[in-house]
Amino acid sequence: MAISETSLRDVLLFTFDEINAAGGVKLGDQSYKIEPVVVDGASNWPLFAEKAKQLLEQDKVAVTFGCWTSVSRKSVLPVFEKDNGMLFYPVQYEGEELSKNIFYTAEAVNQQATPAVDYLLKQGKKKFYLLGTDYVYPQTTCLILYKYLLLHGIPAENIGGGFRKDDSGKVISAGKYVPFSHTDFQQIVADIKQFAASGDACVINLINGDSNVPFFKEIAAAGLTAADCPVVSFSLAEDELRALPTKDLVGELGCWTYFMSINTPANTSFLKNWDAWLATQTHPGVVKEKRAMDSPMVLSYNGVYLWKAAVEKAGTFDVDKVRDVLEAGVSFAGPGGSTTMQKNHHTTKDVFIGETKANGQFKILETFPQVVGEPFLLKGLDAKLAAAK
Amino acid sequence: MKQSTKIYFTLLCGLLGMLTVSVAEDSAVRENLSRSILSEGAEQRQQVAALADTGSKLVHDVLVAWTRDNVFLVTTGAVKIPVLLEDLTDPNGKARAIVIADGKFLLDENKKELRFGPTELTAAETDSALRGVIQQTLDSLALADPNPDSRRNAILKLGNSHKLKNIAVLQTRLAKETDASVRRSINEAIAMLQLGDRDPKIQSAAAHQLAALKSIGSLDMVTALANNKSAAPEVVQAANQAIVKIDGHIGVVNFFGTIFRGLSLGSILLVVALGLAITFGLMGIINMAHGEMIAVGAYTTYVVQNIFGAGFAFSVNLPFTFFGHPLGFGLHLPGMNATGAFYESYFLFALPLSFMMAALVGLVLERTVIRFLYRRPLESLLATWGVSLVMQQLFRMVFGANNVQVSSPNWLQGHFTINDVLLGYNRVFVIAFAVLIVIGTWLLLTKTPLGLLIRAVMQNRDMAACMGVRTARVNMMTFAFGSGLAGLAGAFLSQIGNVGPSLGQSYIVDSFMTVVVGGVGSIVGTVYASAGIGTSDQILQQVTGSPVTGKIVVLVCIILFLQWKPGGLFSIRSRNLD
Repeated sequence: MAISETSLRDVLLFTFDEINAAGGVKLGDQSYKIEPVVVDGASNWPLFAEKAKQLLEQDKVAVTFGCWTSVSRKSVLPVFEKDNGMLFYPVQYEGEELSKNIFYTAEAVNQQATPAVDYLLKQGKKKFYLLGTDYVYPQTTCLILYKYLLLHGIPAENIGGGFRKDDSGKVISAGKYVPFSHTDFQQIVADIKQFAASGDACVINLINGDSNVPFFKEIAAAGLTAADCPVVSFSLAEDELRALPTKDLVGELGCWTYFMSINTPANTSFLKNWDAWLATQTHPGVVKEKRAMDSPMVLSYNGVYLWKAAVEKAGTFDVDKVRDVLEAGVSFAGPGGSTTMQKNHHTTKDVFIGETKANGQFKILETFPQVVGEPFLLKGLDAKLAAAK
Repeated sequence: MKQSTKIYFTLLCGLLGMLTVSVAEDSAVRENLSRSILSEGAEQRQQVAALADTGSKLVHDVLVAWTRDNVFLVTTGAVKIPVLLEDLTDPNGKARAIVIADGKFLLDENKKELRFGPTELTAAETDSALRGVIQQTLDSLALADPNPDSRRNAILKLGNSHKLKNIAVLQTRLAKETDASVRRSINEAIAMLQLGDRDPKIQSAAAHQLAALKSIGSLDMVTALANNKSAAPEVVQAANQAIVKIDGHIGVVNFFGTIFRGLSLGSILLVVALGLAITFGLMGIINMAHGEMIAVGAYTTYVVQNIFGAGFAFSVNLPFTFFGHPLGFGLHLPGMNATGAFYESYFLFALPLSFMMAALVGLVLERTVIRFLYRRPLESLLATWGVSLVMQQLFRMVFGANNVQVSSPNWLQGHFTINDVLLGYNRVFVIAFAVLIVIGTWLLLTKTPLGLLIRAVMQNRDMAACMGVRTARVNMMTFAFGSGLAGLAGAFLSQIGNVGPSLGQSYIVDSFMTVVVGGVGSIVGTVYASAGIGTSDQILQQVTGSPVTGKIVVLVCIILFLQWKPGGLFSIRSRNLD
């Protein structure tokens, strides 16, 4: 398990302990304790499928929470469909997928990327530079954003990073892409600097993981400040900021459905319980110091409670019946506000825009209340663009 | 006695530029500043905008501090008082609070100076709309800034504002301005604003002016004008001419920019590979732990930075016991809590320490593992690979699996431009740094007795031994030197990228590639290879527009090159049979 994934495991263990301490999952007058089975896919995609098979066929688990990155989810998807399992996926993703066996508590593109663009458009930004790591989530998201921007009156020449077209001239990829753990951002930042020379520009950053450090150091060295050309990042939450030079990131933007800095009694007591749990934790491998809470962790937490509510309502652990209840709409008041499961297996929740502070937290700038998760955006955008012509 | 301390502090603050404004104009400005910090919303933005007219350095300093969350609010009863904290702190890390409204220290009921730590106070918050206004205010102040760079930035922002009324502001400044490059910027900004004029003559003149100035920032505006259907034909013609001229200029800028970036990437490769050129190239050890030597240097920089700051401590409990006693080790280094220029200088101390630390680790590695494997290159590959895994795990235990934060000193941040080509200080530094360590290595190898011994032992170990050279000792020194160079590379890499347990892994392939292309055993070859690989990588990135394709093409070229010249650029011809 990599750094971000272990945080998800920790928060899930915390959630199970919290539920068990409160009496477990209650079916009628019987109550059941949750017994966690933890498996490690080790960032190895075939291994994910194998472990999923083991969970469903040997351990016969009632429900699975996890996966990180779309590749891992796509590897386990056939297993869950074949064995009729149930998976809750908590990490922001590109959409364009809907399995009857997967519930996506994650941010869909219209709960992270497009609200961020809406915010930037409202700030008067006229030029958008798209940049990401070369894999399915950034590629799809950038393509959606490219069409979304066209629809909102941003001409193609004001969308930076370059395009790749197929033989018929249709744009199949928008934006600049770097390989995983890329370290040399000189050329790209010089490109951004030229792009931003005429003002009113911003950067949409879908770079994954470690590469963000050299990228932001280069941005700082080139004198691109958040006041002139803000960078909005979709893969940097509080947990990742722990390992980044936040000094270089002050004022840059983030967009998630939860921020640790949300100032509500629900969030305060949630964080207090989490800290108390961490302090007494004896599970091997749980790091206790300098922990942060972030959106994928809270969405994992919400997923467990949504599932619990559905099981209690259905009166059974049977996957088909629980699914019916979930699809009919189950709500949970989580730390980040109310979240409701929809018929399309995505959730309705609040979306927040925040800017990074020097202490690695976000200051919330704007809230989009109760955004309905929508996985299929590309088709709708294509139709609207065609109609606009 | 008390009086004199106070004067001393005031003088100090004066040096810091906090209290330099004369008393008369001072009080009104201070009142306004204080009020604007306390108000909210649109009213606040208006008040901040009004501060631009003061032209005061104090306003600039306070506004900058505000955006950096360094203006704090002290709440006494229902009243909030905006304060700045003095730079000078007492042993508890607490500082006196300077009240912004009157410039005096904040006192309690008994007229005693209050002291606060930054974490005890709430910062006066800003949001992005307000920071936009603060930025504008700073821009207007910056038009009168003594630093030409700040003036230029402020001027270009006005040029982009699309507001014709700004022309007057700029012309007033132009009359006073003496700096040639700033005058050029003002002319550029005025021309950009004039593009939006109603008179076609002024518009064409502005387009011609921008063409003459080769203004990159105006390209979008000129293009928009050229595509504007309602514009007069002579304006469109002038705009098109300007586009051709500016595009040509961008081509030139990109060309020289690419060469510079190529050299800087090449320098990084060189710095990273030079140590390996010695341990692998000269000594023939396939050292897979080279990357971890780089990481040792980077982590040393991190520790030095912490010692200059708040101190460094770690403790590790091993997961097994020794006769019932838990095993573990730990270390606590107290911090110096340095600030200002002294803290910034930590990197200068980190450089030699990184070298020594990595050299020391190399020495231990050579004594314990490598010296048994000089005649068995394949076993040395496996053994050093094992060592590299052990070291990575050790980094994880001591420093955690997460990356650690190394913040660059201010003098390595920022950039300057020559004819629109952007030169980052850290990039210029790495080029100079690479040149220096190559010269140093060359001097050591060719001009010192140790260098003579190294060369003798590397050319023929047995013969050197017969001549009375203590080959074991020379091997040890050479390996330690190569490792030390890797440590230096790590110290530099900490300034531009990640410092984490797997830092070494990302550079080990590049290092071997550079040494092999340059020709194993040739330091000169490594220099040429790194410059060549760096530049071609950047050129290909520029041409193909994609870092992925660029990298692939470079690797393919290297494979083809090695087919043609298996010995690398500078192959050593020798009569050795092996």
